[in-house]
This record gives sequence, C-alpha cells and structure tokens, in this order.
Amino acid sequence: MAQALDLAVSAVLLAGLYATMAYGLGLIYGVLRIVNLNHGGMIMAGAYAGWWLHSSYGVDPYLALVPVTLAAFAAGWLMYRLLVRRLPRGAAGGVQSLLLLFGVWLVLRNAAYLLFTGNDQTVRTSYSTHALPLMGAFLSVNRLLVFAGALVTLLVLHILLTRTYLGKAIRAVAQNPDSCTLVGIPVERIYALTFGLGTALAALAGLLGATLFSFNPGFGSTELLKSFVVVVLGGLGSVAGTALAALILAAVEVFAILVLPAYLTSAVGFVLLVLVLVLRPGGLFGQRVLA
Amino acid sequence: MRTCKLSLLFCAVVLAACKQSSPQAPEQPPGGAPAAAPAATGEAISIGATLPLTGSESRIGGFYKEGYELAFEEWNKKGGISVGGQKLPVKLTLLDDTSTQATAASLADRLINSDKVQFLLGTYASHLVEAQSVVAEQNHVPYVQGGGGAVEIHKRGFKWLFGLLAPVQLLSGAIMEWVDAQQAARKIPRPAKIAVVWENTAHGKDFRAGVKDFSEQHKGGYWIMMDESFELNGKDFGALLGKVKNSGADVFLVDAHLPDYITMQRQYVTLGLCHKIQSYGARGSEKQAADALGPEHVRYILSSVWWNAQLGTAGLTKDFADEFKARYGRSPEWYQAVSYETARALFLAIEKAGSLDRDKVREALASLNVDSILPGGKLSFPASSGQQAIYPFVVQQNQPDGTSPIVWPKESATSAGVAPNPDCSK
Amino acid sequence: MKLKTLLPPALVVAALALLPLLHRDVYVHNLITLAFLGVASALAWNWLGGYLGQVSFGHAAMFGVGGFVAARLEIALGMPMVIAWLAGGLLAGLYALLWGHPTLRLRGPYFSIATIGVGEATRLFCTWWDWLTGGSSGLSLPVEPELKYRLYWYGLALAAVALAASWLLRRSSLGLSLLAIKSDVDAASDVGVGSVRLQDLVLFLSGAMMGICGGFYASYFSYIEPGDMFGFDRSISWVLMGAIGGIGTIAGPALGAVIFVLLRQYLIASYPQLYLGFFGALLVLVILFEPLGLTGLWLRATRRPILEEP
Repeated sequence: MAQALDLAVSAVLLAGLYATMAYGLGLIYGVLRIVNLNHGGMIMAGAYAGWWLHSSYGVDPYLALVPVTLAAFAAGWLMYRLLVRRLPRGAAGGVQSLLLLFGVWLVLRNAAYLLFTGNDQTVRTSYSTHALPLMGAFLSVNRLLVFAGALVTLLVLHILLTRTYLGKAIRAVAQNPDSCTLVGIPVERIYALTFGLGTALAALAGLLGATLFSFNPGFGSTELLKSFVVVVLGGLGSVAGTALAALILAAVEVFAILVLPAYLTSAVGFVLLVLVLVLRPGGLFGQRVLA
Repeated sequence: MRTCKLSLLFCAVVLAACKQSSPQAPEQPPGGAPAAAPAATGEAISIGATLPLTGSESRIGGFYKEGYELAFEEWNKKGGISVGGQKLPVKLTLLDDTSTQATAASLADRLINSDKVQFLLGTYASHLVEAQSVVAEQNHVPYVQGGGGAVEIHKRGFKWLFGLLAPVQLLSGAIMEWVDAQQAARKIPRPAKIAVVWENTAHGKDFRAGVKDFSEQHKGGYWIMMDESFELNGKDFGALLGKVKNSGADVFLVDAHLPDYITMQRQYVTLGLCHKIQSYGARGSEKQAADALGPEHVRYILSSVWWNAQLGTAGLTKDFADEFKARYGRSPEWYQAVSYETARALFLAIEKAGSLDRDKVREALASLNVDSILPGGKLSFPASSGQQAIYPFVVQQNQPDGTSPIVWPKESATSAGVAPNPDCSK
Repeated sequence: MKLKTLLPPALVVAALALLPLLHRDVYVHNLITLAFLGVASALAWNWLGGYLGQVSFGHAAMFGVGGFVAARLEIALGMPMVIAWLAGGLLAGLYALLWGHPTLRLRGPYFSIATIGVGEATRLFCTWWDWLTGGSSGLSLPVEPELKYRLYWYGLALAAVALAASWLLRRSSLGLSLLAIKSDVDAASDVGVGSVRLQDLVLFLSGAMMGICGGFYASYFSYIEPGDMFGFDRSISWVLMGAIGGIGTIAGPALGAVIFVLLRQYLIASYPQLYLGFFGALLVLVILFEPLGLTGLWLRATRRPILEEP
C-alpha cells in the first residue's frame, strides 16, 4: 500500500513535467499541422540556457524562466519567418517539415557540443535536495515546483486560448485558415506567433527539466517521443486533455515496474505511442489527430 | 542515355570522394604483412589510436587523451625508445571515433592501412574496443588497450589484443570483499540483503555478474532481493528507487555513469532513502558529483576503481602522480593512470623486443612482466585470461571530511571505512 | 528491357568489380565496401520512404533484427554467411510486416512518428533480450582474416541487386500503382489498385533487404551490439541519405549514400566536432531549396522536367 502511494505520487509529479513538455508540440501541430521535430532541440536549448545563466551569473533557474522563455519565443518566431514559412502547406509539406526541423535540431545539437562540450551538466541550487514530508512519502521541492509550473502554464494557456482575442484567433486558424483570411485574421502572423509560443513552451519545459536531471546535448530525444505520446493520447484542441494524457502516460510508466523488469519500463511509452496511433488515432479526448 | 550519364556520374563521385577521404599513402602491399624495421635514421615510431573525444563517452575520452599524451611526452623527453641500439622517438596519431563502433573500426582500418602506423593503442569503452580489436587482429597489428574491461573482449582467442583493464567482475567483487569484512565484524546483519541496480551496458552486466558470483560463493551470507537494470541517461528513477525501498535491502549497489549517478543519488536523497552500505560502482568520489549533490549527500559512498592517486606514495606510482600533477595541475584519476600505463606497456614491449617487427613486439607483450603503477605493482597479460591483465581493485569510501581514503585491500588501505552508514539512523 | 539501358550499369558494375586489381589501398577498398552497404540499405529504405511516401525514422529495427538473427545463426548453427543473411532478411521482413501492416494506415507524419516509437521500442526490447542479441555485450563472430577483403564483391552484388530491384519496382506496373497510392490512397483503391497487399509487399521487401544489410554489417565488423545496430542515429542516416540524393527517385538515395558514407568519414577524420551540424545544415538547405536533393539539381542542370512528386 505504501508502495502504491509512493508510485502514485511519483506518477503525478512526473505527469506535470510531461504535460509541460507536450503543450508546445501539441500547439504547433494543432494550429500549423506541422510536426515540430525541433521540439527536442528547443527543450535542450532551454535546459542549457537555464544552466548557463545559473552557472555563469548565479541566476536561480525559476527566475531564469522569464528571459529564457522570451528568448525562445523570439527564436521560434524567427525560425518560422525564415524557414518554416517556405514549406508547402498540407500533406506535401508534412514530410518536408519533419526533415527541415530535424535538420535544425541537428544544428542546435552541434552548437551545444561546441559551446558546452558533450559533458553532462547539472543545476544545483540550495534547495535541490530538499523534500517535504507528506504521509510517509517525501516530495522533492523541485518536482513540486515543476508541477506547479505545469499547472500555471495550463491555466495561462487555457485563459489565453479561450478568453483573449489572440487565443480565439489561434483557435480559429486551427479550425479553418481559409475562412480566417476572409474575416480579416492575419493568418501568417498567427502562425508565426504560435510557432514562437510552441517553441517557448518547449524551452520552458527544458529549463524545468534541467532543475531535475543531468543533461547533455543529446537531451530532448526521449522527451520528444514522450511528448508525441501525450499529444497523440490527448488528441488536440484540449489543453486539459493533454494534461490528462500526461497523467496516463506517467502512471503507465511508473506502475509498469510492478509487472515488468525495470529496464523495459522505458519502452512502455513507445509501445503506448504505437498502440494509440494504431488503435485510437483520435486520442482519448480531443479532435481527430489525423486530418 | 540518361542511365549512362548517371552511371558515369556515380563512378566519378565514388572515385573522387575516395581520393578525398584517404590521404596520399605510399604504395604498399595490402594486408597485415609484418613490416621490417624502418631504416635506422632515427625515424619516429608511429603509433595510432582513436578515442571518443566527442559523443557520449567524450568526458572520459578526454582523460584518456591526457594519459596517452603524458606517456608520449615523457618518453620523447628521454629521447625515445631504445630499438636496436638506437633511440627512436614515438609519434601518436590520435583520431576521434565519436563514440561509435563503426567509426572506431573504420578509423583503425585507416590508421593501419592508410596512415601506416606500426602499432595501435586502444580506445575507451568496451563495445568500441571490441569492435576495433577485430581490425587489429585481422591486420596482425599489436593492439594494447586500457579502455575495455568486459571479459567478452578477451574471450575470442585473439593473439594481437592485450588488455590493461582488469575485469569488471573484480570491481564489484572487491566491493563485496569489503562488505564481507564488515559482515564478519558484525557491522551488518548476516544474511545481508542486497539490492543491485545496474546500467544496461556491458560494464553494468559484468558488475552485476560479479555481485551474483560473490554471493553464490558465500552461500548464506547474502540474499539478492532486487536485481534490475536501467536504461542509460534515465531521467526518472522514482519507480526504481521505490522498488529498492520496498526490497528492504541493507546494501545498495549501483553501477552507473556519472550523470545517472548524480540524478539517481539526488532522487535517492530527496526520497529520504538511506542504506547501511551504498556504492555506485566505479563512481562515487568525483568532485563533480560532490558539487552537483552537495558534499553532505555523498557521504560514505563506496567506489571501486582500477587505480587511485593515494597509491602514489613511492616509486613508479609516485613518479607518475608527480609528473601528472606537474603537467596538468591536478591529481590523476584512474583514467589517466590506466591510459598512461597502456602506452608505457607498449613502449616497454618494443624496447624488450628490440625491434619494430610486429611479431616480435607481440611476443614481447605476451611475455611481459614488469613493475607497474597498477595495484599489485606488477603488470602482465596472462594467456589464461585471454591476455587481459588481472590485478586487485582499490575500494575507497567518501568520508565526512571530504576525503575518500582507500579502505580495501588491506595492504593499501589507509582507513578501515565506516559501516553501517551513521547518517541512516538520524 | 533493352540492352541499351542495361549496358551502362553493367559496365559500371564490371568496372567496380575490377577496381581492386588496379589499386592496393586496403583502406579505400574497405571504405567502398561500406559505401556499397550504404547504397543497398538506402535504396531499401527508399522503397518505403520514397516510392510509397511513408518516411520511416525507425528502419534500424529491421537492420538490427536481420543482423542479430544472421549472427546468431552463424554462431549457433555454423550457418554459411549468405544463407544466414537471407534468413535474417526474411525475419526482418516479417517483423516489418508485423508492426507495419497496422501502422501503414496512418498517413504522413503520423506514420513517421510511429516508426520512431517502433525503432526505440525494438532497441530497448532487444537490448534486454539476451538470447537474441547477447544483451548489451553484443555478439562476436569468429574473425576470418580474408573475409573483409572479399566482402567488397558481396557488397557490390548487394548494391547491384538493390539498384536493379529499385529500377524494376519503379518501372513496372507495380511502381505505377505505388505512385498512385502515394498521391492519394483512397482514390487509388477506388480504381482497384489493391493497395493493402501492395503496401505490405513493399514493406516486406524494404524490411527484408534492410535485414540482409544488417547481416552483411555483422559479417563485416565481426561484432555487433544492440545500442549501435538499433540506434536512432542509424535510422536517421538513411533519411539523410535519401534526402541528399533525392527521396523517391530510383538511384538518388544510392548517390546520397555514397556521398554520406564518404563525406562522413572525411568529416570525422578532419572536423569531428562539426559533422552533425554539417549534415543538419545540409538537410535544411536541401529541403528549402531542392527537395529532390542531388537528383533534383541534376535534373535542373540538364533542364529536364521534374516529373517525380516531392
């Protein structure tokens, strides 16, 4: 029983991280119908940005969130304007956008190797190993903060998408870009902003991840795949759906240790991805993931 | 017409690119025909090696580079190796194999067949060594390696392969011997429960095999309550550590790379876990870990390594440690010691053979028995172990004052070590 | 098949077969062998990724399965090399069918994402599955001194077979059907193009050839381990080869493979810190400016109309 509680707490906290990682990917796909394979690269970039600010200037990683996210937003916006915009939309563009953004990721990885070497880095703050006792289990302060960050992001995104003009414009473009042009919504500008937002969310997730684990320039590939699982599971058009899907993924991964050898639990996410794609491509909650 | 043009283009590209890729080399017969000694003009002995200078193993690859370079510089300062009455300098051609086996093998091929090196020094990491040694064996080139401790490497009956890293089974075996001594002194219960968690690599597999073998040989002394592997660069060990907690183990043994050690130990501490005896295999005393985790969270962790600077109190070992410190401004760790010794072993063998003939140097290596900086003080490549050196490991334990004295074997120990972990009762 | 079209490639094959007699550079010889392997595997990838339009990021799964099955058979049963390769290929092809048949329903990027999942899941499972792969220690094949040198001609044969198959696949009515499926799978089945069976066939062939290449790799290096065989980086290399040479063209990926293998060797020896970024930038440039890669450039240069769909 105590073990079940430990695992449950573990799953919930992990879900927070997964959800934050998945938002950016889901947003970009939902609106632009582009699979951002550079998502992993931006997660890695966010982690390094936070680490660099912390180790060179002593900036607390949670404070560094603001400048890093803003910088990533700008980078994403630029990426869209310079590169992504030139791709053909629709089915033909699908594969090409995959390859293009993958190429960008390779370049980012190489840049990280050159700037920071391939060595693993960690962010250590005064509270890195602090934990709060709760019902016999210990909750890591960092994980709680990451979880809080996930909740806050969820709330902010929800408010943005439902209560603001920008959010409504984004949702409109996601549904039907052509009609939007007719009613005067600047579709290209929305695309650029959304791409920037999605990139910023990825960097945010990376920074939060850096407070929890060691990382190196290869960071981001597994996280990318887990984000896919969450996006596909949760479907689109539903921020809450993404959060719930993250919880499901985290729970499956964590509780799998009761029935599988620990090593194979890392494969669980991938198997889940393939199963969900094949069996329920519409995800569990949202609109159909396949156009 | 179109296919014709395409075919010609194809050929042209292949040929052009091949010319580009291989540097101009003098015409020589193919294969590993043993080369006669070069003209006695004081020409440098060309030795080739690759190391993972980029990629996943680049941190340690860089350390191995330091060891190699130190050895080369030291011997060149002396004028070189005495071969047939002449002193010939040594030249190292070092390439980056980017931590991939295909590259390690291809570059070895290039070093031998294109750059025409006389001998090869090994790369770092068992799977790279295993792939690269095949090329050396096929070309009949002496290959001296200090980067692969997996016994599989030496189980293939290779004649040209010589390994300086003692088997990883002995690494965990050494830890278990110290644990056994604690059990004999009633510091931990009998039987003691063990949880062993290992990274799923050749290194981890051998580590776990060492623990299993030891507990099987000491029947009734140890129960292995948990035996699980994990994927490298794991991010979340929560579930795994939960299982460890549930196993009720007294002794927690892990085999991990540095980043996983840091991540796991951080989560371990945060979850409030504590075991009577804890080890991270070859990891434990790294300064980077103490910095990342905080010195209070790495206390009493045991680590078992191939060499330790504290052995450097006299003779060869002290000379090496002093020389390293003078050159690099810090104390050497086992990586640099092993790589230095690997190069030195090759030099000594060439000297012993008195010739650059590959067959003669191979024989010299096979029958080598010299004083060494390695624990035990001697180095040889016994045929019984497939020409892999066998010598005792050194176990150290982090102490609250920040030092990490040797606690095993008794001959080199400067401290008895502490068990059970006093922090656990708090 | 006219003699006219058959002659140039046959001459090229003959020339390459005789080439080693002209030079004595063993290193270049071995490098070209690796290039042949690259050609065969890139072309196999292209059948699925280019002809059918389903870009796979997980083809290393079949490469690894083929390689380990072949190696195990050689070690355990002493099976002759080429038979072992074929057995490995067969099992790899069947494995491709196993995960591919249900997944091929997905179009575009979603199939690609699924393949990443398949690739990684296969890697993790096979690293765990000691019996097949030897676990993380890998499998060692007995070392034969002259084998590596002889593998050059086996590699040449493999590449030639793959090229011939690519040509046949494309120029036959099968190829036409594939083009139809690639453009619009629903319309294709409306006009009676038996899409599911055809897709399965291509899937099987692609996987099987990849598996044979895996067996070849095992024989060439005499040592394989799951992290390397099933690695994501390996899967990506075929995507890069295809993109550089021209995805969907007949011989484009072959050209891309040669350039990739040789360029990579050169870069690693001279600029190891830059080669990732170099290929990434190349990929970006190719996608932005010439989606058909080198073949597209060549077509432009000879001012032929680009009939192939990107």
